[in-house]
Amino acid sequence: MSTTTTDLENEIAGLTGTHGGHDDAHHGPQKGLLRWVKTTNHKDIGTLYLWFAFIMLLVGGAMAMVIRAELFQPGLQLVEPQFFNQMTTLHGLIMVFGAIMPAFVGLANWQIPLMIGAKDMALPRMNNWSFWILPFAGAMLLSTMFMKGGGPAFGWTFYAPLSTTFAPESTDFFIFAIHMLGFSSIMGAINVIATIMNMRAPGMKLMDMPLFVWTWLITAFLLIAAMPVLAGAVTMMLTDRNFGTSFFDAAGGGDPVLFQHIFWFFGHPEVYIMILPAFGVISQIIPTFARKPLFGYSSMVYATASIALLSFAVWAHHMFLTGMPVAGQMYFMYATIMISVPTGVKVFNWVTTMWRGSISFETPMLWAVAFVILFTIGGFSGLMLGIAPADIQYHDTYFVVAHFHYVLVTGALFSIIAAVFYWLPKWCGRMYNEKLSKIHFWWAVISVNVLFFPQHFLGLAGMPRRIPDYSLQFADFNMISSIGGFAFGASFLLLTYIIVDCIRNGEPVKEARVWESAKGLEWTVPTPAPYHTFDEPPEKALILSESSHIHHVSELAGATAK
Amino acid sequence: MQSRQDYYVPEGSYWPILGSVGMASLLGGFASSLHGHTAGITAMILGFGIILFMVFGWIGQVVHESEAGKYNLQVDRSFRMGMGWFIFSEVMFFGAFFGALFYVRQFAVPWLGGAGNNQFTGEVLWPQFKAVWPLLNMPLPDNYTVPKGIIDAWKVPAINTMVLLTSGATITWAHWALVNNKRNQLIGGLIATIVLGIIFLGLQVLEYGEAYNHLDLKLTSGIYGSTFFMLTGFHGLHVTLGTIMLIVILMRAIRGHFNKDRHFGFEAVAWYWHFVDVVWLGLFITVYWL
Amino acid sequence: MKYIILLFFIFIIYSLGSALYYMMKDGEGSKRMVKALTMRVGFSIALFLFVIFAFWMGWLTPTGVK
Repeated sequence: MSTTTTDLENEIAGLTGTHGGHDDAHHGPQKGLLRWVKTTNHKDIGTLYLWFAFIMLLVGGAMAMVIRAELFQPGLQLVEPQFFNQMTTLHGLIMVFGAIMPAFVGLANWQIPLMIGAKDMALPRMNNWSFWILPFAGAMLLSTMFMKGGGPAFGWTFYAPLSTTFAPESTDFFIFAIHMLGFSSIMGAINVIATIMNMRAPGMKLMDMPLFVWTWLITAFLLIAAMPVLAGAVTMMLTDRNFGTSFFDAAGGGDPVLFQHIFWFFGHPEVYIMILPAFGVISQIIPTFARKPLFGYSSMVYATASIALLSFAVWAHHMFLTGMPVAGQMYFMYATIMISVPTGVKVFNWVTTMWRGSISFETPMLWAVAFVILFTIGGFSGLMLGIAPADIQYHDTYFVVAHFHYVLVTGALFSIIAAVFYWLPKWCGRMYNEKLSKIHFWWAVISVNVLFFPQHFLGLAGMPRRIPDYSLQFADFNMISSIGGFAFGASFLLLTYIIVDCIRNGEPVKEARVWESAKGLEWTVPTPAPYHTFDEPPEKALILSESSHIHHVSELAGATAK
Repeated sequence: MQSRQDYYVPEGSYWPILGSVGMASLLGGFASSLHGHTAGITAMILGFGIILFMVFGWIGQVVHESEAGKYNLQVDRSFRMGMGWFIFSEVMFFGAFFGALFYVRQFAVPWLGGAGNNQFTGEVLWPQFKAVWPLLNMPLPDNYTVPKGIIDAWKVPAINTMVLLTSGATITWAHWALVNNKRNQLIGGLIATIVLGIIFLGLQVLEYGEAYNHLDLKLTSGIYGSTFFMLTGFHGLHVTLGTIMLIVILMRAIRGHFNKDRHFGFEAVAWYWHFVDVVWLGLFITVYWL
Repeated sequence: MKYIILLFFIFIIYSLGSALYYMMKDGEGSKRMVKALTMRVGFSIALFLFVIFAFWMGWLTPTGVK
């Protein structure tokens, strides 16, 4: 794959004559594998992130297949309960820290410099380090499965004392893997903020930025605020396990519930870390295919910011059953439900953007529309879970599983797939197979609902999560869910084929603006995007005419008249 | 501001991958040494060496590039943003431990003693337990080291507060010297700050010795010992790092690096020092004293 | 008493924050930044002296065990 891109890039460089006479890294990519190890180029690093995330997605998906296979019928069918628990735990951890988060950082690396007219990320060497920690951390996390006593089996939320007193030896490796992943995320987020705040093309105001850039700016803030808290939590776990402290041990005056408070203080912002960039992606795609500017640009920005701020004040809605004082439950319930207001603003704006647009349904748009509908289902079940008295019934059941898979699979993951279909032609200069992609879309979107929708019913009927066996009355829905799961899992084989086929043999795309009505600076650079872009910053008039919303009409007229 | 085209994008670099290898070796080695694998200790030392090599190599390259005039003001601003947000992430890390301390003091310990609607918890689990802070008698003392007392805030800690606050003043004095182009005062201020930092660390070591040897106040002394040693220990670790960085900056100042307009290295370390200083104030008041 | 100490903390954080603002705004060698940092050191020392004074006057009592 690398040779193809390199050839294309050389061609482009020859055509446009972009080689500058600077002494820093202004030439094309280095040959060979070392290019990927040493690179400081945001596009290379973005590609690395995306491939890493994709591999992790397949690994985590394989674990999900084990889970669904075991749950296909009641009774212990295929695996030992201990192994089943390892699967649920590692599936969650890998999907969250290995797939979704790196995929969004990869998109940020590729797109943010292109969208703000910067020549690279602000701190390119550190950018490389943020990525290259990941394979080591991922390997350390996966290696726990092969250790004495098996891997972590306490659920991805690793509650104490399951993760302290009763956990296998490998938990210490898991702890350090989390440390490394957190370190990588923090450095990545610092880089994103410095890039957005410092590298924007001259004349681009904050409110001129595309929404994807805005949502990533806010996400980066969440990452820097939340990840260190997780590092603190696992550090306390480490000392509780090995050095005799008693943070999470009531016998020494600590409290296991303290772990949950610290974890969810990280965990709830983490949820938004995984969904805000998705909002950004959707806000880019829908205007393009509805052929209308985004409705309510500034309200989108403010809604994103208020979701982010509220996310630090709602964490204990994950803990309604810990015996919290009633006043605490009331507060966390109301604060949680308040988040639905800015989220509602967003959904309203997307729908209104489509309203009376001349919509066409290319694959990215299909995924985006599916996102809006299915994410909203996940949002509503979230509202149900946020009601403290009702949560007593839902807590730790398959209803919760259904809820967060609707927001994370049909939410975050769908937006990533949408983004890849949307920008892949720009990245590699080739068009994907539209017919196959549509088949894949319908296959995935139907199977994912067969997979997760019945889990609502299972949860309401009382089936607990994280169990390898269940009572007989849950059998039918579980079988349906498993069938959906296998179909959804298989759809990723087709997705792999579509992407590889696009990169290798796709129809070459010549137009800079791959989608005729797309707006944004990324569509002004040649296709495929050359190795170095925006060595010269874009003109102000271009920035304004490419801004994704219309609130500079007079300024725009003045600028183009010049 | 110079033109944007001059924004320095470095060549590919081996430092990051080296750092990752070192980090994996250090942490993986640590984890396996915790379970009695002696090879783990070797891996740890090796990893630590690699990280040390990487840090000095990487920073050395940055200093070299900086002195060669490759960084324009925009690059400089990226660095400062990076540093500022890094310190913010450190604040949040300490926040987790401070949060644990406040939660334990406000909620967990009183509840264990039967406060709120937890009267039965207290009666059933550990009826003899009394919720007081500092918590010297934990609910199940057999599992823990019961301390005889705690560190008196008005002895070593008070002196240490004076030492660290004075070092805050001397670093600011050095900062003024730098922006006013007074090289000797800059060097003097840095030396004073380093000396004060080392005194602080020395006193901290003495205090830990006192706690361990005479008071039986240990990391294993229940939640009091846990929060006490984790908070002050991480703070001490940051002072150590800060002191090392100050020494590097002192060397650079002696070699004639920095001028009144361009001195990111100094500024970063000064900020770091202000950060550990303010954290200490919080520690002194909430951990040692109140 | 608690509130006075809290107030001092707010002052300290505020002067640190304003120093941060000046650092981003003015760039390196900003005198306003160094001034703000000086203020924060001043506030810290004042807080500590105040705590000693309050302790000496008997307005504050530490969490004594014995």
